[in-house]
Amino acid sequence: MTATQPRPSDQPRHSLRTDVLEARPVNLDGFVEEWPEKGLVAMESAFDPAPSVRVEDGRIVELDGRQRADFDFMDTFIADHAIDVASAEESNALPSAEIARMLIDPRASRDDVLAVTRGLTPAKVLDVLKLMNVVEIMQGMQKMRARRTPANQAHSTSARDNPVQVAADAAEGALRGFAELETTLGVLRYAPLVAIALQVGAQVGRGGVLTQCALEEATELELGMRGITAYAETISIYGTESVFIDGDDTPWSKAFLASAYASRGIKMRFTSGTGSEVQMGNAEGKSMLYLEIRCILMAKGAGVQGLQNGSISCIGVPGAVPGGLRAVAAENLVASMMDLECASGNDQSFSHSAMRRTARMMPQLLPGTDFVCSGYSAVPNADNMFAGSNFDTEDYDDWNTIQRDFQVDGGLRHVREDEILLARSKAARALQALFAYLDLPAVTDDEVEAATYANSSADYPFRDVLADLKGAQAVMDRGITGLDIVKGLESAGFHDVAENLLTVLRQRVSGDLLQTSAVLTADFTPLSAINDPNDYAGPGTGYRLEGERWAELKKLRHVTSATDPESEVR
Amino acid sequence: MTTATPDRTVSLRELSPAVRGTRPDEVVIAVSPAFAGHFTKTIVEVPHAEVLRQLLAGIEEQGVGARLVRVRDTADLAAIAHIGAKLSGSGISVGILSRGTTMIHQKDLARLSNLELFPQSPLLDPAVFRMIGSNAAQYAKGESPQPVPTRNDQMARPRWQAKAALLHLKEFECIEAGRGPVEVEAVFELTDAG
Repeated sequence: MTATQPRPSDQPRHSLRTDVLEARPVNLDGFVEEWPEKGLVAMESAFDPAPSVRVEDGRIVELDGRQRADFDFMDTFIADHAIDVASAEESNALPSAEIARMLIDPRASRDDVLAVTRGLTPAKVLDVLKLMNVVEIMQGMQKMRARRTPANQAHSTSARDNPVQVAADAAEGALRGFAELETTLGVLRYAPLVAIALQVGAQVGRGGVLTQCALEEATELELGMRGITAYAETISIYGTESVFIDGDDTPWSKAFLASAYASRGIKMRFTSGTGSEVQMGNAEGKSMLYLEIRCILMAKGAGVQGLQNGSISCIGVPGAVPGGLRAVAAENLVASMMDLECASGNDQSFSHSAMRRTARMMPQLLPGTDFVCSGYSAVPNADNMFAGSNFDTEDYDDWNTIQRDFQVDGGLRHVREDEILLARSKAARALQALFAYLDLPAVTDDEVEAATYANSSADYPFRDVLADLKGAQAVMDRGITGLDIVKGLESAGFHDVAENLLTVLRQRVSGDLLQTSAVLTADFTPLSAINDPNDYAGPGTGYRLEGERWAELKKLRHVTSATDPESEVR
Repeated sequence: MTTATPDRTVSLRELSPAVRGTRPDEVVIAVSPAFAGHFTKTIVEVPHAEVLRQLLAGIEEQGVGARLVRVRDTADLAAIAHIGAKLSGSGISVGILSRGTTMIHQKDLARLSNLELFPQSPLLDPAVFRMIGSNAAQYAKGESPQPVPTRNDQMARPRWQAKAALLHLKEFECIEAGRGPVEVEAVFELTDAG
């Protein structure tokens, strides 16, 4: 017998430190070597085209080395609808370094930059971005973000598709500061009930919060047209013709869908992101950022006001290659450079490492974007039906503390528990009354009580799923609209909630939410790039976290009082 | 003293162009171009030999026969599984990609439809492959088995998404355009690592 196990000679001995490092969460993340020939590369690839543009008779006839006869449909769409033909040749003739300098020089205004960028080709945009390091990208974002005031967006979903949970968590999320809330489903047929619950909860938490329900495109549009949702976002676009065709789509079909929303005054944005094309095996040998720039220009050409990007559901791909998060920060900047609203990712689950999760969002949080997260999970990640977010309810206090540490506005705030409980309870009661009014499956008093104090879906009584699904179908069959929800809330005594929802619905008549980067403030003022344009012009200008808002963000769960160090600030 | 566990390896010997089976009680296992060839294990390192052994055992324990086919001209799982289903005497197939993504298909369904799909390859272990084989055999017998429970892991994305993309790209490179499916025989070998 020996005291220690003999070691086979081919296995080298590891140090104890190696054991400690091996056990760190970051080593559960996946990392891969680049493969530029197949597009598995972030933004520095020898296979991306060199920029070029030629205009004849007011038409672009050459784009990034390709003649019009050889254009694929992305090239055609971008050449005909996205690029400003009048300034194209002049803008592309500028040295890329000069354009990159304009992006970071406070003496060049946002409008000065836009006058140049609207004429750039995809390869030229890439050429500019390749000159910029991540700090320069952040400096560019600080100026190019469309709306002066940053904001944040959240997911509010339920692992059981429980509408009561969605209403309560939406109310809490709205109260904490999210300007937009989105939901989606495990069982798609549940959508009408959950979308109604999201809308009601949001208007309880803070009047004017906008809501959407991510579904297949036809149902999503119908819920929007009925006024059950207030905006739409999950209209996916891609950077290569082959991936578009795989999804039975074209740039024109997506543009048509966009115009359907616009025709009803409904806010909408497209969704794209680095990594999707290579994930689907059709990157056509181009870098992830080059393909994303094509998406961004396509969105611009379709006339939509904004884009959700920052890799989104493919974040595991750029996250695994060298320079991937630089490319992700760059794609957000490109959206802003094209004068689009940017809902900037930090959306889906990204890393096992808390340090990497935090680092990932710094290039968006520090300069500020239109929506720092395009889906912070306002439910525990186990309830997140978008497959988990980079941040969830457990991270609320960390997020608030980081805002306070750096004096930056990430759109959230600390809210006292008594206020939260009040809002959650009211949301559940409003939904209870509304479902009774609409003759939908009852919400019991036990469920209201559970919703008030719950953390996750596991804390709620089970609902009768079959009855709920019948109710959901009835919502569609009976043609229930946003106005029916308003009437129900009003007749059940929830006058303020009814008023809030009616005011949100009236926006589609004025069309103010069609402006770039529009959100509604608590007093229902539409805040967009039109009336709240980003006026950053160097130190001391632009959006500054100060005054009442800064006082609000100084509050945390536990802060020792200076006047009475034996107690905490309330 | 250490005891080395024997490693099981498999190679697929090409027999002849695959034809439609006549036995109503068979399941076709249709594998992708690089399965048990260019690649030897799934994304989570389940050896392809073990994948096949479990699928075959699951099928055989239901008293159903199995036939192996390699699809060479596509790496699209729905296409591979559908080709397998059309070759199967029962109309039922199990399609599988090298990284482990698996689908049970039926010949009369639309190509992009399926009986059961197991999209998250990192969550498929030998026990799941055995259940998949068993369920496919039950469909072949005209039964309606309980679907194999699907698993979900939100942290599969950060860990596996990029590797899955890489494996997919490599599998694409092994496509032999214009070459039809071929019937293959699994040749298992035990190698004693000690």
